[in-house]
Amino acid sequence: MSVKSMLGAFAAVMLLAAPAAAQSLPQQLLTQERPVQGNTIRACVDETSAGAKLDHAIMDAIGDALFLEVKYVEGLHGFPLDGDGYLAELQIQLNNDCDVFLGVSVQPNMPFPEWAKITRPYARVPFVLVTDKDYSALADIPYGSTIGTALASLGERVFATSVTQRPKDQRWKRLPYADFALMTTRMREGKLAAMLLWHPSLLQLAEADPTVMDLRIIGLDPVPTASVEVGALVSSRNTFLRTQIDQAIEELTADGTIDRILDELGIIGSSPL
Amino acid sequence: MTKNYLKTALALAVSLTTLVGVANAQSVRENYAPVTNDMVLNPPATEWLSWRRTIDNQGYSPLDKINKDTVKDLELAWAWPMADVGIQETAPLMHDGVLFLQTNNNIVQALDAKTGDLIWEFRPALAKIPAEWGYQLYQSRRQKNSIALYEDTVVLTTVDARIIVLGAKDGKVLREVQAFDVNKGYSYTVGPIVVNNTIISAISGCSISGTAGGCYIVAHDFETLEEKWRFNTIDDPNNPEQQASWGDVPPENRWGGTPWATGSYDPETNTTYWGVGMPAPYAELIRGSEDGNVLYTNSTLALDATTGELKWYYQHLPRDNWDLDSPFERVLVDVKEGDETKKLLISVPGKNGIFFALDRETGKYLWSQETVVQNVVTSIDESGKVNLNEELIMTALGESPLVCTSVSGGKLWQAGAYSPKTQQFYVPLTEACNTVEATQSEFTAGNATGAMKFGPRVLPEGITEAGLVDAIKVGTTKSEGEGWKARQRASMTSSLLATAGGLVIGGDAGRYVKAWDDTTGEVLWQQRLNAPIGGSPMTYELDGEQYLVVPTGFSAAAGSIAAAFPEIPLPSGTGNSIFVFKLPKQ
Repeated sequence: MSVKSMLGAFAAVMLLAAPAAAQSLPQQLLTQERPVQGNTIRACVDETSAGAKLDHAIMDAIGDALFLEVKYVEGLHGFPLDGDGYLAELQIQLNNDCDVFLGVSVQPNMPFPEWAKITRPYARVPFVLVTDKDYSALADIPYGSTIGTALASLGERVFATSVTQRPKDQRWKRLPYADFALMTTRMREGKLAAMLLWHPSLLQLAEADPTVMDLRIIGLDPVPTASVEVGALVSSRNTFLRTQIDQAIEELTADGTIDRILDELGIIGSSPL
Repeated sequence: MTKNYLKTALALAVSLTTLVGVANAQSVRENYAPVTNDMVLNPPATEWLSWRRTIDNQGYSPLDKINKDTVKDLELAWAWPMADVGIQETAPLMHDGVLFLQTNNNIVQALDAKTGDLIWEFRPALAKIPAEWGYQLYQSRRQKNSIALYEDTVVLTTVDARIIVLGAKDGKVLREVQAFDVNKGYSYTVGPIVVNNTIISAISGCSISGTAGGCYIVAHDFETLEEKWRFNTIDDPNNPEQQASWGDVPPENRWGGTPWATGSYDPETNTTYWGVGMPAPYAELIRGSEDGNVLYTNSTLALDATTGELKWYYQHLPRDNWDLDSPFERVLVDVKEGDETKKLLISVPGKNGIFFALDRETGKYLWSQETVVQNVVTSIDESGKVNLNEELIMTALGESPLVCTSVSGGKLWQAGAYSPKTQQFYVPLTEACNTVEATQSEFTAGNATGAMKFGPRVLPEGITEAGLVDAIKVGTTKSEGEGWKARQRASMTSSLLATAGGLVIGGDAGRYVKAWDDTTGEVLWQQRLNAPIGGSPMTYELDGEQYLVVPTGFSAAAGSIAAAFPEIPLPSGTGNSIFVFKLPKQ
């Protein structure tokens, strides 16, 4: 079966819901329409995210590989730190508006429930430690100094886990930030010794303030470097599409397309292992 | 869509209002009498003017035609489908023959309270919020008590952080103000109180990354909508103790403290009382506050209603690590003891279900009483100091303790009711636990949308009945054993209503609305409806007949624990409706 016909057919699959299953949103909000979309694939991207450029470039390449025209749909954003409501709205968007939702963090203990399946990752992109001071690595920064971290991020998780395992007199303090421009300001004011953020976030900062590129990326040792594996979500009803996208990512990895995209965007990262 | 586009869309909202006029309800509309300030403070017995009928948040009606003897004879008078789909947490109001109903997406309808005929409908163009502006969409699909009645207006708070004043007779917009910046993530999820020409409201969305450092209770002039004062629940420069309680975390790195239940008001002292929610990120391991109490999260705030100055605070759950927030209804109760009248504030303020009685003039802790199974608070000293089970505080990422109650309560938004007749506070509760793990669950790469993982809601060991109505005897000292507990399999999904007819009325995930005997807890009447009972049941009287209004519809509270009750299937349709009962005519 072709991708095209499969995309058209998957919505017709009957859903047999367990009557007492947990419901996080009214089922009436989920359309039952069969998408009529010809050779197009609807790709949702959170345009505010630091990885949006990467997501677009990868999806364009996937579209080319599958001979599909990519129609972009603006993805959800603006959720609270606890993710309250996020999965409910994501389920609506993935059911009603998208065939694929780009830019998802692939990690152990994935928070996504049974209605979504994740593709294989298409890129592996690290968190970086950045400073405007004369340090060459975290190990040079005096204990007790404060490091700004990207709030609720994988990088923060790895950093916090590692630091809390150290003796109390050999720890750095940490302050979480959601506003990375503010974090940069506080570092330049001397209130932070360094800041830890996802590399595409640093590039996004530099678009608004080119002097950010004057900051130096330094080693994270003795803390391990955290890298986000970036993938995409598809409806769990659409296993065929997931297989097709997985195969496309595999081919794009093998032929060096993904490494080329990362290089063109200036992103420190690699194609998936 | 850009932010500017969003602003444009929001600006269009008012112009897209729909007004529906219905001829046969014309006389009800024309004869509508204003709700005076005195009426807000002392409503007619026959009416339901505020979220909890009275501005002391008691949720009590002095009507008694529907009572222990007659309740079995209730018949359906009329029913009405709500205007939109979503989570149903509405609180209808009734004045002068008009029933005001807020439904999802901030739609407001005025109905003839006797017949159920539509008088007018206000439909703000919230659908113009861009589809990707997810949090506001989610909130717009919840519907709490977002309106208040004052003079000849309906005051509405919206998910896009506006206050809109509608004409009560025709639903037309009289004035509005953008109270907070929606582009930062602020959003109203509950309605205001309006008293002494002042609209007092509280904003939500304080866990969104853009709202760092500010979560507010705010007052606006009713006529001009000019801001009179605002109080920041997570940054009080006048209180060094509050600042120190966040450790080294400066205000710009603080989140949470959302006061997401409507406050109460004491006219004798001109004090307004509000509850405050949890800190964010939830775990101190993530938020960086070490062992600080993170004030004023999980506290009761007593504010001067004219100036917004803090009179006192009391923290019900310091150092929260589990999203067991404590914003729920603060109920003002006067208790006579000998010749003296004691002014109490009572509440089950938090998800852990612990009842508190405070002296509302001083904030002094008087006593407390546990309700459902909980393992977070080990004891509360006579001084009011709350002691925690520190074994449940995560010291490393990946730890996953079993915490009772669950993140969905225990107690949740469903409000309790106090009967001055029995001096008992009736509380709807659910027995549940879940695992809690401090983690970073990035949904989208590099973005902050998750810092805690909760396991599924399960019943505590040895308990098979999740639903509990707990009747707590209220006085200046504890009288445990004088109340009653009514247990059932299905979880509680609605607020409770107490009446002078000796009834406590509410409902559950099993679609039953029930009337309990207010002194024994015996179920005197029950009726199965189309969907889980939701919102806040209320009652009123018209032309000598007492009506009982029961909201139903999609219930997130029911859905989250549905797997525990395979024998009680939930409908897949939402069925958001109100059912209005009355006694047969003699």
